[in-house]
Amino acid sequence: MASSTSPTLQVCRDCGGGAPIDAHFCPQCTKILALGRQGDYFAFLGLPRKLNIDPATLERRFRDLSRQFHPDYFYNAPPAERRASLERSSYLNDAYRTLKNPVARIEYLLDAEGLGLRSPQEASKAVPPALLEEVFALNEELDEIREQRAAGAAAVAWQPRLERARAPIEAKRATHEAQLRDLAARWDSLVEAGGAASERRAVLDALRERILERNYINNLLAGIERELNA
Amino acid sequence: MSKVVGIDLGTTNSLVAYVKDGVPVVIRDAGGDALVPSVVSVGDEGAILVGREAQRRLLTDAQRTAYSIKRFMGKGREDVRHEAEHFPFRVSGEAGGVVRIGLGDKEYTPPEISAFVLRDLKHRAEAFFAEHGEVDNDVDRAVITVPAYFNDAQRTATRDAGRIAGLEVLRIINEPTAASLAYGLDKRHTGLIAVYDLGGGTFDISILRVEDGVFQVLSTNGDTHLGGDDIDVLLMDMVMGGREGPTRNDARSRTAHDPSTAAVRVDPPETVVGADLQVGPQSPEDIQAIRQAVIQAKWDLSDRDETTLNGRRFTRAEFETLIAPIVERTLGPVRQALADAGLEPSQIDEVVLVGGSTRIPLVRRKVAELFGKTPHSELNPDEVVALGAAVQADILITGNREMLLLDVTPLSLGIETMGGVVSKIIMRNSTIPASGSEMFTTAVDNQTAVDIHVLQGERELVADNRSLARFKLRGIPTMPAGLARVQVQFQIDANGILSVTARELRTDVEQTIEVKPSYGLTDDEVERMLLDSFEHAEADFVARMLIEARNDADSVIQATEKSLRNPDFAEIEKEELAAGERQKIESVMAGLRMVLNSRDRETIQKWTHALNDATQHLAEVMMNRSIKAALSGKNVNSI
Repeated sequence: MASSTSPTLQVCRDCGGGAPIDAHFCPQCTKILALGRQGDYFAFLGLPRKLNIDPATLERRFRDLSRQFHPDYFYNAPPAERRASLERSSYLNDAYRTLKNPVARIEYLLDAEGLGLRSPQEASKAVPPALLEEVFALNEELDEIREQRAAGAAAVAWQPRLERARAPIEAKRATHEAQLRDLAARWDSLVEAGGAASERRAVLDALRERILERNYINNLLAGIERELNA
Repeated sequence: MSKVVGIDLGTTNSLVAYVKDGVPVVIRDAGGDALVPSVVSVGDEGAILVGREAQRRLLTDAQRTAYSIKRFMGKGREDVRHEAEHFPFRVSGEAGGVVRIGLGDKEYTPPEISAFVLRDLKHRAEAFFAEHGEVDNDVDRAVITVPAYFNDAQRTATRDAGRIAGLEVLRIINEPTAASLAYGLDKRHTGLIAVYDLGGGTFDISILRVEDGVFQVLSTNGDTHLGGDDIDVLLMDMVMGGREGPTRNDARSRTAHDPSTAAVRVDPPETVVGADLQVGPQSPEDIQAIRQAVIQAKWDLSDRDETTLNGRRFTRAEFETLIAPIVERTLGPVRQALADAGLEPSQIDEVVLVGGSTRIPLVRRKVAELFGKTPHSELNPDEVVALGAAVQADILITGNREMLLLDVTPLSLGIETMGGVVSKIIMRNSTIPASGSEMFTTAVDNQTAVDIHVLQGERELVADNRSLARFKLRGIPTMPAGLARVQVQFQIDANGILSVTARELRTDVEQTIEVKPSYGLTDDEVERMLLDSFEHAEADFVARMLIEARNDADSVIQATEKSLRNPDFAEIEKEELAAGERQKIESVMAGLRMVLNSRDRETIQKWTHALNDATQHLAEVMMNRSIKAALSGKNVNSI
């Protein structure tokens, strides 16, 4: 995974010449570059490392690059170039899919900045401090509902309770979406203005915290969903 | 130049098409017929019959005749247990292994039977080209279509069938996407398209965005076990009394209470199935006669409001009541595909119908209702997929960049983790090619191998997903438990077919992977079938020799490149190589590359030998250095 100190050059395996990190073809021999030291998803797509991406621009870049190195166009090429086309296209598709989704985009940025979430499980382990109160209340409510159900209560008796218990969590999620949007805008203006490292770091830390909370909330809601459908 | 074609290998019928002067054309026989029934029959003397001839034998020798084989592709014996009873042929196979189809005294795998159909299409195309005075009428390369919802095993089985038939399979593409290519040809579409493809045995729905000639699939869904065949089975059950269909109830009550029905039973002979067939055991041929009668009735009801089946009136209304649940089953996947693409039905600009079963008026009505617009059906729904396959073949061969197909993988790919849970690595609807990787480590000290189970599907538990393969990663260097870091890389190529590589990161050692496909053939088996099936032994032998020559050339090129890339190469060149030696190697390698993709085996071999000779001295030098380095205990660079 690229870090903030990622290299700025890649080397063409065919002619040995140097190429900029965001190039896809060797400037010297014009061959497709093998994957290995390519840029991160943003650089690969020729985009600044910002969180607000114009969807139309992303789509156009994706189509343009697909047209440059899709395996269809390397069918008759030597094996090394065919392989480069396959790998470069796979990477492009990953980059496109990741950056298309606003949340995946933030998670990727955190990764690229060396603040990645260690694993998807990380989100579900510890309760984020900001959510303690809601989670505590919800768990109590869930316990009571489970008892009610175990005692043979009809769905009409507990379902509305469960729905009510979900409401504050849903509200929290909406707040989070708004906070993420604000932080994303702040990050983008820092990138544009060339803001200080400490300022950037503060925004990234805040983003990371919100994302962890968000993932936790989603898991919680999924749990309730299962409970409702069980 | 030999010819490339596009092939629609269907459950019921197959077709072949090619591109002539930029326009895709379906290849027809002398009678103007494009459809080759996907039926294979083994004659008494062991002769293989394909198509209409084989289809006729369903009425005289059903047990030696195979149809709807596409339903068995990439399947295990257990998968088809329930459906096998509907077929006249023997279905067997080892537990956990590939299905075998018994015809006469021989057994065949589904790819072998499909290969007979493919070879027939190949011959049909070759005869057509010969007749049209083409210089080289050899057909040796093809794009073959599969349902979009086919899994890895089914795709691989299809590719194997192509190889067994002596075809180089340029690409496996999805049927709905192929259809969209054919539709996109004459009109420069921009917008969102839904392709609804209900064929003989499979159902697909694909949602595409088309812009600047790029056909990008946003989502796909389907059911590889839903199609016209299921309608036929319903009708057969109704006729044979196996199911309490509305018609049968109706008939029974009338026979019991109203003597006038006797008159209704006297009917034109062509679709009459004897009344005595309703009770007691039937011969396989009788059952096939019933099958053909119900198919005829089904066809009739696409154009008319009523027909005659089993000696009585059968109305479209009755038919629609009977098949409504089947049509309903297609709508779930449609809604899921729309949801996955993040779209409402009303946002779809155009709806395209593909597959013979979309001729059924109820299907058209339901699709129109769901999307709120009249679907397209200008192109023949039986032919449009083959046309698209021909277009894709042309793109691959000519490098024509006007159009580009970007398809997705229909099912998520994952591996088994602790507790029988699947951990997903590549999500469904990811644009292909796609890759993903996962890190593994060892559980006990000095463990040198790790077992990996690869699955496809959307469910959480291993048992609910499709097992694709089991791998054993071997050759992990001995070290304490948990220290090894084995990165396994999963690559889905543009065919939607998976390959796996692995590397231990601490030592950078590439791991050996033994692939045991869960429901597929090994390369050796395919190779053997290829040899078994050689009809024109010599022509096929030549093709295989050519492939081998190319492989040899490839490996010499790769070895040479590796040497030239060695970090010490500059030093080696200065100290040990003659002046101009490197330039010579490079120019010979460039020469070999030029001829590599030609069909001239001798020239390829000549250049391969030349490169071997040119690099011999370099290879010796490198070898000596490695030995010296090893003896002095130094680390050897990238051996």
